[in-house]
Amino acid sequence: MLFFLARRIGVMLVTAFCLTFVVFYLTNIPAKLETLAKTQAGSRISDAEVASWLDRNGYNQPMLVRYGEWLGVARGWTHAADDGAQSGRCYILSGTTEPGAAPARCGLIQGYWGNSTRFRAPVSEVIGARLGATGMLMLWVLIVMVPMALVVGVLAGMREGSRTDRTLSTFAIASTATPEYVSGVVFIALLASSTVGLSPLLVSWGWIEGPVLFQGNARSALDNITFWNFALPVMTVALYGMGYVARITRASMTEVMTQQYVRTARLKGVSFPNIVLRHALRNALIAPFTVIMLQIPWLLNGVVIVEVLFSYPGFGWTLFEAAANNDIELLLAASVVAVLVVLITQLISDIGYVYLNPRIRVT
Amino acid sequence: MTKDSSNGLHQGVRGYARECKDGKLSRREFLTRATALGVAAPAAYGLLGLAAPQATAQTAQMGGSMRIQMAIKAQRDPRTWDWSELSNVCRGWLEYLVSYERDGTVQPVLLESWEANADATAYTLKIRPGVTWNNGDPFTASDVAHNIERWCDASVEGNSMAGRMSALSEDGKLRDGAVEVVDDLTVQLNLSRPDIAIIVNMTDYPAAVVHPSFTGDDPIAEPIGTGPYRPVSYDTGIGAVIERNPDHTWWNEGNGAYLDRVEFIDLGTDPAAWIAAAEGGEIDLTYQTTGDFIDIFEAIGMPSSQAITANTLAVRFNQESAPYDNVNVRRALQMAVNNALVLELGYNELGVVAENHHVCPIHPEYAELPAPTVDPARAAEMIAEAGLADHEFELISIDDTWQAASCDSVAAQIRGAGINIKRTILPGATFWNDWLNYPFSSTEWAHRPLGVQVLDLAYRSGVAWNESAFSDSEFDTLLDQASGITNADERRDVMKRLQEIMQEEGVAIIPFWRSIYRNLRPNILNAEMHPSFEIRYQHYALS
Amino acid sequence: MDPLSWLDILGRLFVQLLPVWVALVALFAVSITFKRRLGLYGKLFDSTVGMIGFALVMFWVFAALFANMILTHDPLAQFSGMRNAAPGLPLRDPAGGYDYFLLGGDALARDVFSRMVVGAREVLRIAPFAAMISFMIGISLGLPAGYIGGKLDTGLTFIANLVLAFPVILLFFLLVAPEIQDTPIPRAMAGILFLMPVLFFTVLLNARFFTQPPKRNLYVGAVLVIGLWAYSGLAFNADPLGIWGMSPNLLNVFVAVVFVNAPTVFRIVRGITLDIKTRDYVSAAQTRGEGPWYIMLWEILPNARGPLIVDFCLRIGYTTILLGTLGFFGLGVAPESPDWGSTINQGRRLLTVYPHAALAPAFALMSLVLGLNLLADGLREESLKD
Repeated sequence: MLFFLARRIGVMLVTAFCLTFVVFYLTNIPAKLETLAKTQAGSRISDAEVASWLDRNGYNQPMLVRYGEWLGVARGWTHAADDGAQSGRCYILSGTTEPGAAPARCGLIQGYWGNSTRFRAPVSEVIGARLGATGMLMLWVLIVMVPMALVVGVLAGMREGSRTDRTLSTFAIASTATPEYVSGVVFIALLASSTVGLSPLLVSWGWIEGPVLFQGNARSALDNITFWNFALPVMTVALYGMGYVARITRASMTEVMTQQYVRTARLKGVSFPNIVLRHALRNALIAPFTVIMLQIPWLLNGVVIVEVLFSYPGFGWTLFEAAANNDIELLLAASVVAVLVVLITQLISDIGYVYLNPRIRVT
Repeated sequence: MTKDSSNGLHQGVRGYARECKDGKLSRREFLTRATALGVAAPAAYGLLGLAAPQATAQTAQMGGSMRIQMAIKAQRDPRTWDWSELSNVCRGWLEYLVSYERDGTVQPVLLESWEANADATAYTLKIRPGVTWNNGDPFTASDVAHNIERWCDASVEGNSMAGRMSALSEDGKLRDGAVEVVDDLTVQLNLSRPDIAIIVNMTDYPAAVVHPSFTGDDPIAEPIGTGPYRPVSYDTGIGAVIERNPDHTWWNEGNGAYLDRVEFIDLGTDPAAWIAAAEGGEIDLTYQTTGDFIDIFEAIGMPSSQAITANTLAVRFNQESAPYDNVNVRRALQMAVNNALVLELGYNELGVVAENHHVCPIHPEYAELPAPTVDPARAAEMIAEAGLADHEFELISIDDTWQAASCDSVAAQIRGAGINIKRTILPGATFWNDWLNYPFSSTEWAHRPLGVQVLDLAYRSGVAWNESAFSDSEFDTLLDQASGITNADERRDVMKRLQEIMQEEGVAIIPFWRSIYRNLRPNILNAEMHPSFEIRYQHYALS
Repeated sequence: MDPLSWLDILGRLFVQLLPVWVALVALFAVSITFKRRLGLYGKLFDSTVGMIGFALVMFWVFAALFANMILTHDPLAQFSGMRNAAPGLPLRDPAGGYDYFLLGGDALARDVFSRMVVGAREVLRIAPFAAMISFMIGISLGLPAGYIGGKLDTGLTFIANLVLAFPVILLFFLLVAPEIQDTPIPRAMAGILFLMPVLFFTVLLNARFFTQPPKRNLYVGAVLVIGLWAYSGLAFNADPLGIWGMSPNLLNVFVAVVFVNAPTVFRIVRGITLDIKTRDYVSAAQTRGEGPWYIMLWEILPNARGPLIVDFCLRIGYTTILLGTLGFFGLGVAPESPDWGSTINQGRRLLTVYPHAALAPAFALMSLVLGLNLLADGLREESLKD
C-alpha cells in the first residue's frame, strides 16, 4: 500500500512538472509576453516601451532560465534602478528594495508561488480564496447531484425496460445533451428575469416580494450564500453532470439485478424493496462511486462556464481571467491545482474501489 | 469662482460670444472654447446673456450607499492610466486641476482660475486657496509644478500625459523654465508653441493630481489626496469599496460627498450578467450601457442617461500595406458602405451618421460637408479595375459587442457589393498587440473636446498613434495652421479642407458618432452620463 | 404584408424542409425493408430508441447536405429593419428573395432560420471529422499499448494521462489563442496528428495484404497518394492542387479538439485490447504465426467495434458541445460563422427580450446531441444482444 501511494505521488509530481512546463512554454512565447506588457503598462504603448517594460521586469531572459526561477533552481532576476533601489523577482516577492536583503532564489521550492499580474496579489492568496469559493459551489453541486443521479439511476435500473426506466433514461440522456451554456441561460430567462418566465407571474399573483424569484447573478453568494442566489449555478452544473452518473448507475443496477444472488433472493420471496435496498444497492453503487470521483475534475469545465456566466469569482473564474490576461504565474499555480485535483480524485476512486469491492487487492 | 475673470477677458472670447449670438457658433462650442482660455463658466454663460445652470443639489440627501457596475482593473500610476475605470475609483480622493463638464465647459477644481495670454503661449494658473491634502499638508503651487513635471516624464512606459504636455517638455522631460512657481498660489506656464488645448488636456483622466510623496504604481495603498473619500478595499476583477473620509475636511465641504459608501462591482464584460445583477437588486448604476441593453435596463426600472459625444469607431486602412496603398481601393471600400446602415445595425441608431472624416458636428471646428456617396456597384467596378476582383479582404476588430457588430455590418455591406471579405475578431488582450499595423481594422476613439486634438493625435504624419499610416504634407501644414487660428470662421475654412483631404484620401470609414448611455435607478441624483465616462461619485446623491 | 401566425410559420418550415423529409422517408423505407441484410446497422431498426436517435441525427445530416435548397436567405446578409425581428416578420424589401424571416432575425438583422441550417453544415463538417481523427489516433496508439504493453504502454499512458490532467478550458485558452496561430505549434501538432490516419490505413492494408504484393502495392500506394496529398494540404496548407486546405483558425480549433479527445479514445481502446487479447481467437492467430499488426488490426479491432461505435456517436455529440464552449469563451471559429455555439453565445445575451435568436440554434444543438446519445444507446442495446 505504501509503495502504491509513493508511486502515485511520484507520478503526480512528474505530471505536474511536465504540465507546468507546457503551460510555461505556451504563455511565454514572444507574442504572449507582448500582450502581457500591453495589459500591464498600457494598451497603446509603443514597441520600444514594450521592450523596456519586459526588460525592467525580468522577462527578457531565456525561457528555461525563467522556468528555473519559477521552480526556484535558478537565481531570480535583478534590476538596479537609477536611484540605487534594487528590484527583482525575489525583491518584489519578499517586499524589499534594499540591495542584498532578498534571497537569491525564490521559486516553488522555497515556497514562493509568485505574484499574479492580473490581480496584483500573491498567487497563493488568490488561489486560496478562490478555491474556497469553488469548494462551496462543488459541495452543493455534489449534494444535489449525487442523490438525484443515484435515485434516478436506481429507479431506472431496478426494472429494465419498464416505462419508468424509459422516462428516466430519456431524462438522463437529455440532461447530458444540454450543455451548461444553454441550461444556465435558460434558467436565468425562466426564473431570474422580471420581464419573462416565471417571476412576473409570481409577482402578479403576489407570491414574491422582489421583482425576481431567483437571482441570476451569484456575486452576492461570495459573502452570503442563500438558496435564492446559489440555486441556479448549482442546478446548472448539477444537471449536466447528473445524466452521466445516472446512466452509469442504471447500467450497474441492471447488471446487479440479473445476478444469481438477487434471483435467489427473489425466489426465496424477499420483497422487492428489500431486495433492492439490502442486496442490490451496495454492489450497484461501486461503479457510480468511481465515476463520481472521476467526474469531479471533469465538472471543473462546467464550473468555469457557470462561474463566468453567473460572475461568481471562484477557481474556474480565476482560471478564465488568468488565461484571458496571460497571467503566467497564476496559470501555473492553477494548473498545479488542477493536476492535484485530477490525480487525487483518481487515487481516492482507486482506494475507494478497493474498499467497496473486497475482491480486488492493490498490488 | 470668486474672481470675475471678465475684466481681463481673453480678447478672442468676446469675438466668440458675438459669433455664438449670431448663430455662427453653437453654444456648446462657445463654452468649450471660452472656458479653455480661462473664462469662468458663469462668466461665459453671462457673455451670452444666460444664467449658468445650477446643479440640482437641493433635494440631495446626506448619507446612503451606492453600488456601481464597473470593471476593476489592476491599478497603476495615474499618469499611465489607459482606462477611465482606473481613474473613476480614485476620483474620491485624487482630484483634478480642472474638469470637463457635460455642457462642454471646462470648470476649475483645484485651480481657482486661469488665464491665457493673447496667442495662447503663456498661462497663469491661480491655485484654489484653503485646499489641504488628507494627511494635513497644504496644497500649493509647488505641488502643481511637481505634477506637471511628472506628466512631462516620457521615460515612464505608458505615460500618456507626456504627449498632452508636449508644449511644456523637451527631450522627454519638463523643459527648463516651462513651469514657474510665482508664489504659493500661482503657477506660470510658458509654452514652446501656441496650444489652446493644454488646459483641456488637464481634464483628461490620467491628469489626476497626486501628492509629492507618491511613487510607484499603486494609488490605493497610500491614498493621499485632496478629496473627501478614501478606499476601503480594492480587489481587481471583483470590486472596490470607497467610504467617506472622516479624518479630512474637504475644501468643497457641503457641495458634495453626500454618500457614505460607494461600492464598485466588476461583473465582467457580459451585459447580460449586469442585467441579471440589476434584476437581483445588486447594482444601482452602470458604467456604460450599449445597444439593446439600454431598453432592457429601462424595462426593469432603470432609466437611461445620455451624453452626446464625438466617440467613434474608425474603420481605417493602413496605407503602408497593400492593397490599401492604392487610394482607389480605399475609396471603393468606403463607397460600398452606407454609414447610416452601420449606425442602424451596429449601434441601434443611437448616434449621428458621420462622414468618413474625424471631426464631429459637436466640435467647435466642424465644417459641414456633403454626405459621402454610396455606390456599391461603382465600388465593385473600382475594385475590379484595381485588379482585386478575386482578392479576399480581411477586416479585423476587437471582440467588443458594438464594435464587432458595426464591423460585421461594414463587412456585410462590402460583401453585398460583390467584394470578397472575411472578418476576424481578436480578444481584447491580443488586439492591441498590433493595432497600429493591421491592414484593415477598426479602433475606438474617445471623445475629445476640440476637433484638432484627434487629428493631431492620429492623422499627423509619423505621430505615435497614426494607425492609418496617413502622411500628407498639405494636411500637416493645414493642421499646424488650424492650431494657430483663433477666429472661428477662418479656422473652419481650414478645417473644411482638412476634412475634405481625409475624405479624398479615403483614410478611414468613420461611420457614426455614438451617443453614450448609462442606466441608473431613478432615485440617484447628479449622476448623468459624462462624455468621457467619468463617475464623479463625490457629487452623486440619493434623493 | 402581415407577419405570419405560428401555424403559418410551421407550415412554411415544413415546406422549406421538404428535401429533408423526402430523404428521411426514403432512407427509412429502404433500411427497414432490407434491415436483415444490413448487420448492426439493420439491427438498429429493431430498437425504437435507436430509430428515434438515428432519425434526429439524419435530419441534421440531410439539412446540412441540402442546405442550399432549404435556406431562405444568405446566412451572412443583413437586411435593414430586421434587427431582432420576431419570427414570421415580412421583409421590408425582399428584392425577389424569400418574403419572410421564418424564425426571425438576429441582433445583426440576419435570418435565424438560414443561419441555423447552415450552422448544421458547419458543425457536421468539424465534429464528426474531428472525432474520426481522434479515433484513428486513439486506435493506432491504444492497440499497441494494450497488446504489446511494457515500456511503450507506460510511456503512452503517461502522456495520455498528462493531457487528461489539463483542464480542457485552459488547454483551449492556451492552444486556440490568436498568438499561437502565428507560431509553428499548430502546424507541428497537425503534422503529427494528421499523419496518424495515413499511417493507420497504410499499416492496416499492409498487414492484410503483404502476402499478395501486387494487391498490397496497389492498395497501399493508393492510400499513400491520397493520404499524403490530403495531409500536405490539411496540415501544411501545401496542397499543389489547392483542393485540401484549412484556414489557420480552423486548423487551430481542429487540432485542439482532436488533442483533447484522442487520449480518452486511447484509454478506451487500450482497455478493450487488454481484455480481448486474452481471448482464444487471438491465441489461435498467434499460433498461426500472424504478425502483431495483423492481430491488432484484423483480429482485435473488429471485435472491439461495438463499444467503439457507441463511443464514436457519443464523442461527436461531446465535440459539438465542446465547439460551443469555444464559442462561449469567444475562442476559435470565424466571427460571422453561423455555427451553433457562436450563435447561441451571441443570442443568449438578449434571451429575455428576443429569445428566438438563441433558442433556435440551442434547440438544434440539443436535438443533434440528444439524437447522437439515443443512437448510441440503441446501438449499445442491439450490439449487446449478440
